[in-house]
Amino acid sequence: MAYSEKVLDHYNHPRNVGSLDKKDPSVGTGLVGAPECGDVMKLQIKVNPDTGIIEDARFKTFGCGSAIASSSLATEMLKGKTVDEALQIKNTEIVNELSLPPVKIHCSVLAEDAIKAAITDYKAKMEVPSVSPLQTA
Amino acid sequence: MSTEHNCWQCGTPDVASLFCRYCNSLQAPIPNYYEFFGLNCQLALNPDHLQKQFYQLSRLLHPDRYTRRSEQEKHYSLQASSILNDAYRVLRDPIRRSEYVLNQAGFEIGDPRNKEVPPELLEEVFELNMALDELRMGDTEVLPQLDEMRQHFLDMMAEMDGELESQFLTHDAQPDDEARRKVLTGIRAILNRRRYIRNLVDEVDKQLTARNA
Repeated sequence: MAYSEKVLDHYNHPRNVGSLDKKDPSVGTGLVGAPECGDVMKLQIKVNPDTGIIEDARFKTFGCGSAIASSSLATEMLKGKTVDEALQIKNTEIVNELSLPPVKIHCSVLAEDAIKAAITDYKAKMEVPSVSPLQTA
Repeated sequence: MSTEHNCWQCGTPDVASLFCRYCNSLQAPIPNYYEFFGLNCQLALNPDHLQKQFYQLSRLLHPDRYTRRSEQEKHYSLQASSILNDAYRVLRDPIRRSEYVLNQAGFEIGDPRNKEVPPELLEEVFELNMALDELRMGDTEVLPQLDEMRQHFLDMMAEMDGELESQFLTHDAQPDDEARRKVLTGIRAILNRRRYIRNLVDEVDKQLTARNA
């Protein structure tokens, strides 16, 4: 099976590889795994708490070319979006952009899951200060 | 479930063991490993007892004993010896034994190259991949970390072996097939997780050997 040019481009020149400080309260981390192929994907976002805009995104993926390309593209798509806009990203956008064949669609699903997991983690961190006074009340 | 038939030699009905109780001629061997050993289908087995039976059966079934017997018995002794060896290899190993029982009960067993990451292990699998990546790039500082992870995975496997042992006893104590199947479902889940971790350890070993080669 031949990879599309866009997959190869992201695979050979992955964007935003690396990691952000997991302990930073403005950083959300998503770590997901794909049962189909054993791929493991970590995706992180850094959000400006005042504007809700994602200012930085990083990833590290262990898996096939399509999984790496999907997460690389996902980080590009995330930058500049608000958290709520980012939640609207669908795996089909990744499929279309990278021309993924049907057998590799699960890679894009994994990337979407990673985005959602990172946002969930960020939101959970944000809620902590406002929740704890309620819990003590 | 016992395999009964008539003795091929003297026609005595309901022969369900290796030898006819009437004329003592060797019978067509029973392919089920438990029946072959004359055991109930239990998961907890005493290895010493099994070994003793293995030696005893090996002697009784050895083809050398049948050189002067009929072609039929020569043939059966070869067949039986071969089943005996397979059966012993499977039954003496708790993992293979439970896989065999699962198989017999109609359970699908996961792919041996099972890659399904148990969710609670994601973090560790990620860290392991990072360390292996760094090692491939020539960073030997990760070696102690890899050793530690490897040991941690081995500890997890040992823990699972303990879990399996107690599940074996639970399985054997169940009153009927339905209850046993429930326990077997749990056992299969443990086996799948164990296989996943086994693969991780193998992967680490492969990388370390490749480095030392």
